[in-house]
Amino acid sequence: MSDGVKVTIDDREIEVAKGTGLVETAEAAGIEIPVFCYEPRLGPAVGACRMCLVEVEGLPKLQAGCTLTAQDGMVVRTAATSKRAAEGQHGTLEFILVNHPLDCPVCDKGGECPLQDLTFRYGPGSTRMTFAKMTFDKPIPVSPLIALDRERCILCYRCTRFSSDVAEDDQLIARNRGAYSEIATFGEDPYRAPFSGNVIELCPVGALTSTQYRFEARPWEIQDVPTVCGLCPAGCNIRATTREGAVKRVQSRNHPEIDGGWLCDKGRFTYPHLRAEDRVGEPLQRGPLGLEPVAWDAALDRAEELLRGARGTIVTALSGSETNEIAYGLGVLLRRGLGAHSAVLDESTSAALDAFRAPLSTIGDAELVVIVGDDDVVDRAPAVDLWLRKARRGGAEIVTVGARGSVPAPVGGAADALRELTDPAHDLGKRLRTSERAVLVWSGPGGGGGARLAEAAHKLGFDGKPGCAAFHLPATPNPRGVSEAWAAAADGDESDPEPIGLLVVSGDEAAGSPDVRALAEQAEAVIAITMFHSLAVGWADLVLPATASLEREGTSMNLEGRLQRLRRTVISPVPDELAWLSKLAARFDAELSPHAAVVFEELSERIYGGLRLEQLGEHAALPARAAYVAPEPSRAPGAEAAQRAEGHFVGTLRLLRYTPLFSGHQVERVAELQFQRPEEEIALSSGDAGRRGISTGDVVTVRSNGTSVELRARVDRKLVEGVARVADEHAADLHAEVEVVKA
Amino acid sequence: MSQTFYDEVQEMRARYPDPLSAVLPALQLAQDRHDGWLPEAALREVAEALDLTPAYCLSIASFYDMFHTEPVGRHSVEVCTNVSCAVSGAQQVLEALERELGIGVGETTEDGNVTLRAVECLGGCGWATVVAVDNRHHLHVAARDVPRIVKELGE
Amino acid sequence: MSSAPEVVFAGTDGGAITDLAAYEAVGGLTALRRAREMTPEQIIAELDASSLRGRGGAFFPTGRKWSFVPKPDQNPRPHYLVVNADESEPGTFKDREIMLRVPFRFLEGCLIAARGIESQHVFVYIRGEYEHEWEILVSALEQLREAKLLGGVTIVLHRGAGAYICGEETALLESLEGRRGQPRTKPPFPAIAGLYASPTAVNNVESITTVTPIIEMGGAEYAKLGVEDSTGTRVFSLSGNVVRPGNYELPHGYPLRDLIHEVGGGIADGRTLKAVIPGGSSTPILTASEAEKVTLDFDSLSKAGSAIGSAAVIVLDDRCCMVQLGVRVSQFYEHESCGKCTPCRVGTRWLTHILQKIESGRGTHADLDLLLDVGDRINGTCLCPLGDSDAIAVASYVAKFREEFLQHIEEASCPFHGASSLDGIVAPTDVHEAHVGPHEIHRPLEVVA
Repeated sequence: MSDGVKVTIDDREIEVAKGTGLVETAEAAGIEIPVFCYEPRLGPAVGACRMCLVEVEGLPKLQAGCTLTAQDGMVVRTAATSKRAAEGQHGTLEFILVNHPLDCPVCDKGGECPLQDLTFRYGPGSTRMTFAKMTFDKPIPVSPLIALDRERCILCYRCTRFSSDVAEDDQLIARNRGAYSEIATFGEDPYRAPFSGNVIELCPVGALTSTQYRFEARPWEIQDVPTVCGLCPAGCNIRATTREGAVKRVQSRNHPEIDGGWLCDKGRFTYPHLRAEDRVGEPLQRGPLGLEPVAWDAALDRAEELLRGARGTIVTALSGSETNEIAYGLGVLLRRGLGAHSAVLDESTSAALDAFRAPLSTIGDAELVVIVGDDDVVDRAPAVDLWLRKARRGGAEIVTVGARGSVPAPVGGAADALRELTDPAHDLGKRLRTSERAVLVWSGPGGGGGARLAEAAHKLGFDGKPGCAAFHLPATPNPRGVSEAWAAAADGDESDPEPIGLLVVSGDEAAGSPDVRALAEQAEAVIAITMFHSLAVGWADLVLPATASLEREGTSMNLEGRLQRLRRTVISPVPDELAWLSKLAARFDAELSPHAAVVFEELSERIYGGLRLEQLGEHAALPARAAYVAPEPSRAPGAEAAQRAEGHFVGTLRLLRYTPLFSGHQVERVAELQFQRPEEEIALSSGDAGRRGISTGDVVTVRSNGTSVELRARVDRKLVEGVARVADEHAADLHAEVEVVKA
Repeated sequence: MSQTFYDEVQEMRARYPDPLSAVLPALQLAQDRHDGWLPEAALREVAEALDLTPAYCLSIASFYDMFHTEPVGRHSVEVCTNVSCAVSGAQQVLEALERELGIGVGETTEDGNVTLRAVECLGGCGWATVVAVDNRHHLHVAARDVPRIVKELGE
Repeated sequence: MSSAPEVVFAGTDGGAITDLAAYEAVGGLTALRRAREMTPEQIIAELDASSLRGRGGAFFPTGRKWSFVPKPDQNPRPHYLVVNADESEPGTFKDREIMLRVPFRFLEGCLIAARGIESQHVFVYIRGEYEHEWEILVSALEQLREAKLLGGVTIVLHRGAGAYICGEETALLESLEGRRGQPRTKPPFPAIAGLYASPTAVNNVESITTVTPIIEMGGAEYAKLGVEDSTGTRVFSLSGNVVRPGNYELPHGYPLRDLIHEVGGGIADGRTLKAVIPGGSSTPILTASEAEKVTLDFDSLSKAGSAIGSAAVIVLDDRCCMVQLGVRVSQFYEHESCGKCTPCRVGTRWLTHILQKIESGRGTHADLDLLLDVGDRINGTCLCPLGDSDAIAVASYVAKFREEFLQHIEEASCPFHGASSLDGIVAPTDVHEAHVGPHEIHRPLEVVA
């Protein structure tokens, strides 16, 4: 290794790559340098806690090992072979324990606590401190999700560094100075930000703990199951902590290429929805008295009846949140078993971006990122937001082109923006062409599932440049996996039956879609596979209970195009979809295994090149790029423009709906997450608000074609003129053009 | 008033290559405009003017001795009690002020006029005892000077 | 007074020069004009020849510090000169007087230094408590601006807000950048990545002010003053139990006893000299007999086990209880600790508590051993010298006045019985502690490992 450096640690020689930190160098030699504040993902080492003190030959004072990089010929002694280092580390622990309360018996961190472990290995067994320890009111709520115990806090500043330097929300801060420093938020404000929960994992003691997990379990009575989050298309790797068959918490499992060890609050705290009160626990059949519970066999009989009865006129509404195996299973039943090839999925999908496939971490290393689309990245795929921030901190330029962009664009103008970028004379486009580390992101509806983005990336010459990538952010977690698995189940063309004899609605993404609801109203009968009562009531004839992604074995494909394995973390209270799909399929002479692994094998033969489940492993790899294949051209370009042009009345604003991160049927059912739900407000540009005499906080009436809604106004300096932006759940039935007046 | 504060802070920002540097002068200005301390509303104003969070402004303000996040009297009287002033009679000055004002050190008079504090070295060691009245330094202060100092505070 | 040559205060005749014309009349701006004919390398060479060493406390050779700043072709980022006017070391008040009396000489030095490191941007970080001095500088700067003398250099006068730690150079940079004033680890050093991650030289007020006469008279000429390892004059801050406390500009190498007894007029009220802190509270204390022997320069004070530090001489007479001194000094460091590193944040407060226990007569011999051991755990393990200073100062009081500590322990009370000059002194942390946990544990907890 010509650019390796040789270091001697505790008389052990080790060679590591140039630039390796000393802590990692020691680790490579099998030696521990204990740390608290050191966490490379938070930025450069700060050397604050002084836990890592080591002796370095040639330097008179003990050094903070975490701040050092391996140098050729360096000779280091840790506590193992240096009395001075051992005393230094012992001293640090003694100081930390001076004010630390003996809370272990009642502290959630006990048993998985670095302070306990390091004190045992390097610290004092008794105390010399006879003065009053500093006491605080405890625990205090940092937010409904996080409890803070200031007595336990060792002021390692990992949490405040995360808040300011990673999530960049600057809400969790250090207050005061010296021995009187405290971790705090502003006044009574809760820590309200999409990534707040990460501080719980970062905290090396029981100072920041999860309120959901409080007193729920001890580390020796739990089982951690590795799986992948199924709530957004990023597919962050997670670990579900279970106890006695129930999920007690969700933590990050750190896939360095996808999530970098971080998890958003939706992925982390939503699991209680598995135990929601209105969860459908058994099949429901519509009878003269409404929906009534019915035994499984009877339910499957009824399903068979409905399916046979509607043969030839069946449409399936798929959810982009199903696993590949469930989508394939539905395909086997409906397409192979019944020849019902028609399906609707709320989004298009495309394989064209496989030519520009790259890990999400590529964003973090980019020098230029251009994002087109009207939706904030954090609402679609929060992990991507963190990579963008990392890129910006590394000096990257981030350009957003959209209704709230640094380059303002009209609503729905993403495709036009891409066209402009690919114009040879366009300045930004030229920079994208010449850069070796440029990334394009589509964050919004449309785009042909990435097809438009792929075309643009190809025109800009991203082919063959590993540092250049393109990412399309879909609205659901696994749309491509679902649509490809459905397609792979059989051969046959869609028929678009009219009228629809039977609508099969699979999953709550579809059950909650107004378009699917409109189809349901036309259909003669509806079978709904859903988790919650409130979503299916009113329009389903047969309700079959669905499982949650934490309860599923299977695979899904994230927005990178990476296939990942889901593991069942707990047994669901209702049968797995594959269990009854296989039984139902058998009634129509279609063979389907009830076991996800077997289904995957069959599916893999057809579309994944025979890839085996074990090959996916715990941290799935991203396959190499495919050659570029030009996608189907987009529909008549006038389509979107036409939408815009219709009914534009003077004085009206274009309504831009968006789906905030903390919305959806899972989030709605978690008490601790309610404070993160979107405000009931409508955002206006400064110009539009000014002209209407509206200021932030004013109550306004939003009117369109017969419907009206009252909301609070907020002036959004970033919003382009002519647009009013509302969270989808607050926009009710408002149309595309609205009038906004002060109430 | 808020509008001019915002504009003044923009001018401060322009003086620095990185606008974050303006947080200290902005907090100083906000404190001057809020009766000598920084209530939550003042911190929010600073945050607004600098595109920061109020929490960040709090973390800065609370770090420094000259920023106060609790109400203070109209006047501040600060006695240096570090070594040089201490050996020159600072405690006697402090106690005389306590008696004259009728409050203990760290407290504010009931009429809200004066807050009395003990502070660390004010950088006037050879002119001990140094007493800062509204940040103007009185030098060579002895206990006998206290009645006059208090009288000048008025009210 | 002494008849030593004045360099920093030359031409002031004991007063202040706050008018530009008056400054020019005594030869002001000569150095600037000369410097503008010199290359940056020549300026640095002159500083090297002078052997000027930093006047803030670190005593690092100024010319060498400037030479660490990369040339613009090596590092294209803007270069910054940051002047540390955060003078807060107990006993030190010389920079204040310099800014008060020779503001133009100081600003002239800023402009020359900026040229030396090829900087167009100077920041003067002045402690917030120096409001009057800031006003003087504002006026002087305005006069220079109106007279179009700045030569394209921007000088920003930035006020601090009360934090001793901001006198540490990297903490100062953090504070100047708009963050909490917590020191950084080095490397990287400010010369390479200082203010806004750019090449920066951080210098003390007195150092910068001295640059002006050095360019005027030439470095070699300046080096003739003082002694070999401590050239030139120094503005000594004299305070405490002397008849004539004040700032005195004297050549390095001046005998400490002469500063105290001649210049300072000796001990007042017929008291006797007991101890001297020679370079600000962070320097080890000297007994009276040690003080009689040393000269005020780097070498002599180092050999005596202390340091020249910030050249702040605090004189203590026989009324001063050394244990109470320990308490008060430790309280200072406890109050000023930034809280970033564990040993300082926790250790300074622990030291204070142990000292208070001993001072109140409740201490044991074990407590004295504990005091020194805790100090040993702090010294050398902290991120910056603040924590170290508490430990060093306290250790020196115990070392030099051990009998007094033992008396407190063995007699279970302060031998001064209320008559010490520091008796009952209230510190800011005393007021703060009133809000913190009330109950003392009378028996230490044994945790079986």
